[in-house]
Amino acid sequence: MTRLLRSALCASLVVLALAAPVRPALAAPEGTLTWAVHISLAPTYFDPAETPGLITPFMVLYALHDAAAKPMPGQAFAPSLAESWNLSKDGLVWEFVLRKNVRFHNGETMTAEDVKFSFERYRGAGAKLLKEKVVGVETPDPHRVRFRLKQPWPDFMTFYATPATGAAWVVPKKYVEKVGDEGFKKAPVGAGPYKFVSFRPGVELVLEAHEGYWRKVPNVKTLVLKVIPDEATRLAALKRGEVDIAYSITGPLAEELKRTPGLTLKPTYMPFTSWLVPVEQWDPKSPWHDRRVRLAANLAIDRDGINQAAYLGLAKPASSIIPSQMEYFWQPPAPGYDPAQAKKLLAEAGYPNGFDAGNLSGDMIYGSAIGEPSVNYLNAIGIRVRLHLMERAAYYAEYGEKKLRGILYTGSAAFGNAATRLESYVIGGGRYVYGSHPDMDGLYSEQVNETNLRVRQQILTKIQQMAHERAMFIPVMETAFLNGVGPRAEVHGLNVIPGFAYSAPYEDLKLRKK
Amino acid sequence: MRRFVLRRMAYAALSLILLSVTIFLFVRVTGDPTVLLVEPGASQADLEALRHDLGLDRSLVVQYGTFVRDLLHGDFGRSFYYRMPVLELYLSRLPNSLLLAVVAMAFSLIIGIPSGIMAAVRVGGWWDSGGKMFALLGLSMPSFWVGLLLILFFSVYLGWLHSSGSGTVLHVLMPAFALGWYFAAAHMRLTRSSMLEVLGSEYVKLARLKGLSELRVIAKHAFKNALIPVLTLAGINLVLMVNVAIVVETVFAWPGIGRLLAEGIAFRDFPIVQATVLLAGAMIVVVNLVVDVLYAVIDPRIRYER
Amino acid sequence: MSVSPAPSPSPVASAPVAWRLPRVNLEGLPTVPIAILALLIFLAVFAEFVAPHNPEIGTLSQRFRPPAWLAGGSSEHLLGTDHIGRDVLSRLIFGARVSMIVGFMAVIFAGVVGTGLGILSGYLGGWVDQVIMRITDAWLALPALTFAIFLAAIVGPSEFNIVIILGIVYWTRYARVIRGEVLSLKERDFVRLAVVAGCSKWTIMRRHLLPNVLNSAIVLATLMLGVVIVTEAALSFLGVGVPPPKPAWGLMLADGKKGLMAGYWWLTVLPGLCIVMMVLAANLLGDWLRVKLDPQLRQL
Repeated sequence: MTRLLRSALCASLVVLALAAPVRPALAAPEGTLTWAVHISLAPTYFDPAETPGLITPFMVLYALHDAAAKPMPGQAFAPSLAESWNLSKDGLVWEFVLRKNVRFHNGETMTAEDVKFSFERYRGAGAKLLKEKVVGVETPDPHRVRFRLKQPWPDFMTFYATPATGAAWVVPKKYVEKVGDEGFKKAPVGAGPYKFVSFRPGVELVLEAHEGYWRKVPNVKTLVLKVIPDEATRLAALKRGEVDIAYSITGPLAEELKRTPGLTLKPTYMPFTSWLVPVEQWDPKSPWHDRRVRLAANLAIDRDGINQAAYLGLAKPASSIIPSQMEYFWQPPAPGYDPAQAKKLLAEAGYPNGFDAGNLSGDMIYGSAIGEPSVNYLNAIGIRVRLHLMERAAYYAEYGEKKLRGILYTGSAAFGNAATRLESYVIGGGRYVYGSHPDMDGLYSEQVNETNLRVRQQILTKIQQMAHERAMFIPVMETAFLNGVGPRAEVHGLNVIPGFAYSAPYEDLKLRKK
Repeated sequence: MRRFVLRRMAYAALSLILLSVTIFLFVRVTGDPTVLLVEPGASQADLEALRHDLGLDRSLVVQYGTFVRDLLHGDFGRSFYYRMPVLELYLSRLPNSLLLAVVAMAFSLIIGIPSGIMAAVRVGGWWDSGGKMFALLGLSMPSFWVGLLLILFFSVYLGWLHSSGSGTVLHVLMPAFALGWYFAAAHMRLTRSSMLEVLGSEYVKLARLKGLSELRVIAKHAFKNALIPVLTLAGINLVLMVNVAIVVETVFAWPGIGRLLAEGIAFRDFPIVQATVLLAGAMIVVVNLVVDVLYAVIDPRIRYER
Repeated sequence: MSVSPAPSPSPVASAPVAWRLPRVNLEGLPTVPIAILALLIFLAVFAEFVAPHNPEIGTLSQRFRPPAWLAGGSSEHLLGTDHIGRDVLSRLIFGARVSMIVGFMAVIFAGVVGTGLGILSGYLGGWVDQVIMRITDAWLALPALTFAIFLAAIVGPSEFNIVIILGIVYWTRYARVIRGEVLSLKERDFVRLAVVAGCSKWTIMRRHLLPNVLNSAIVLATLMLGVVIVTEAALSFLGVGVPPPKPAWGLMLADGKKGLMAGYWWLTVLPGLCIVMMVLAANLLGDWLRVKLDPQLRQL
């Protein structure tokens, strides 16, 4: 046995020794910034054409690639690879003037062909819609691109130049045609501030500064994005200095982060609202059918309390299901916390002793932070609900198939504007809509092709006001995304671009001088 | 003997076919992966396009047919989430899992075997109960908790070891210990009972009669023989360690198969789940087959037992 | 696991008498583990009367209160409160109930199914045996935790479903062991005699085989109790365990682990200790029973 054990030990030592040099020999440590990323990085993130409608790929896109126009600090649509653009008087042609002498990582010059090619090969979220609306892309000269619309479309820039789609992000046409889609994901080439160095799917991505970036030469030589799925481990890595920025640290871990000398807690804000919706309001026999009951539920929840407990007071209590930073947002009056008034309303509605309201359902990942305290608050005024948390995939499947009853937790960080949010959650036919008001549906269809922005704003405001007056929802929180920053990062890029959750723009990041 | 081996192999193949159908159907009743690949609130058109893209709009029979056909060509399909060949992903993770499993096994045997021997030799003594308690403690503590405590102590408090990731010898120590400790109790128990059995056997009595010292009897005669079943179990557990270290790999961000599987399940990444489970199944079935055959070689009576 | 060296008749199981309590010599009775289990069972049964607060309702403003003996603690919450202000002591007490229900029910469920199929498989042989054993093989090839996550995703998490899930996951462990025992038992004289005496297969299985494999099943059950409870905790960690706000120890541990680094150690250390105590007690009792009842049963 000893012999066996010894040889087994030797074998494992050999394996260990072989595995040791896997860590890439990076440049001088002061030239490296490292992130602890909460989600798995996939090669599909390297190709803007495959942007799935999640914000996560933009974490990588902002480094590797650049777009004709994209959100930048202080600007929702900032000129990037395009210097300027304008809309023709008939509202049918968008013309973009491209920046000259922009080079991709492989040295090729970016031209209008690349922009057109990138738009046409785009097949991610919203692709169908974009391609329905845009009938043609023209390139009158190498620095000019025209998008011809079928009919006036007020939301063109919202879809083209924000993370709602990845269609504006430019890839080198010649290179993609040479290596193919698969080859491109293995060795992506872009026009962004950082070049691809190495990638282990779901494990680690290493990037290196692209010194020819048009905007400026990046300050930090090397970026490393490490995937660490467990929250507590991310904080441990940050504390030990293994990483400089750790994404998504919540609750008590965030408190600890805040207390730790040398570390700072940095919230970022995505267009992410959480709300509860009593889906039984459409059933005339349900107590929820009575507006007063829904108002009572709205008054029962102490949003500040939840904010303090889950987000250290860094989130924003929500009064609408539309994120306040979205276009066409209308700000309803602040939701109060008044359990006494809530009880009174319940009594007026005929439930002086409260009622059994069944389940408050939600998904395991996000539902518990809002769901658990909400259940307590609702019970406190006599709306007796039980928390029913489901696995995320199962929850959204059943929600979409309208199988759930009672109150449902919903959270959405989908990009777009107030109109796109309303479409998904308020207007009849939406995936998560259990019932709708015909007058609101009518108003909605009125504004779809409205090019007069003032009129459109008025209609969308009206719909939001109606949703508020009818107390269709119990908005709870505009969630904050809490992150930790270590002592080495001087410019961390968090919360610089409105609505963007991650560090960006990468070329601005800076390490603290020793 | 040959017939026995062939029959066993046929059984193994049958089990794997059964497993492939089970896993194929199982992943598909767990829900629609497209919902998870987009933000809630995405448009219906996007969902449908995605579903078509992933081939999920075809009938189950067609999907299974494609799955089996590709499988026979050694193609496990493309991951929904990573959008790359699953086999490539799997093979890039496998070495990490093997490394983790081997080191974990070393820990587990280092804890399990000595405590098992002590327990057998000094029944009821301090060593017996102390060793037993330590081995059992590993079984009693959920590994995510052990992992977190280790990280807090060795990474945050002492600052000695990397909290997570892979790359150096130091990276593997904590996850391997957390994983190995859990399995130590099984090895301890088997060592103990098999030592007791051997110590009670005729030839050990004979060795004692020859006047050999107790230490020699235990070390040379008893231990060697008692080791066979323990190593067999270790072999099987090694395969398990490669495949089921889901929790440990998640806590320590260890890039192994377990984490791949956990993600696969969380994202309903059918091809990943199918591949990891089938390959795990294949490993387990093969190891069982080898064990069965080896035992049959050692003890011919088994061949006639069905 | 398939290490099944030909089982030789175990001395205790030799008496062919039907239905009798295992004759156990109480020497070395592990009193501490039994006391722990008894206490936990007591708490589980009388949770309503023992627990000072409602375990599922808390006040957000009262969150993260430390245990009474620390600065900032109060006798109102002896063991402090959790992240939404629920009383930890009450949750631990009710948690004993959830863990007991989940643990015992799952073990019994797995035991009944596994033992039944094991006896059928071992005694009837032929195609019945083939079918059951092939299913068992395929089952064993699915790593237990994977399988549990699947089932949790399919049927959705609830206390009851977790029982079913764990039962379905672990029945094969019994089936294998029991089948091995039956294979050797059926060659024994008392079974042969029963066949000669004209007993039906059903009678033989029920009256002669079942009582004789019961020892192994009981030993396995005690050992499995720990495995089941730890698995339940792992499921909670992965987000598919007993759903909140139920006070399950595994869930408390998984929930509270965030607080550990922030200094709210009581949220993990206490449920962790409860789990360790219960699993250790069950294992020590199981080990003792194994030595007493069935020295041949070596693994698990």
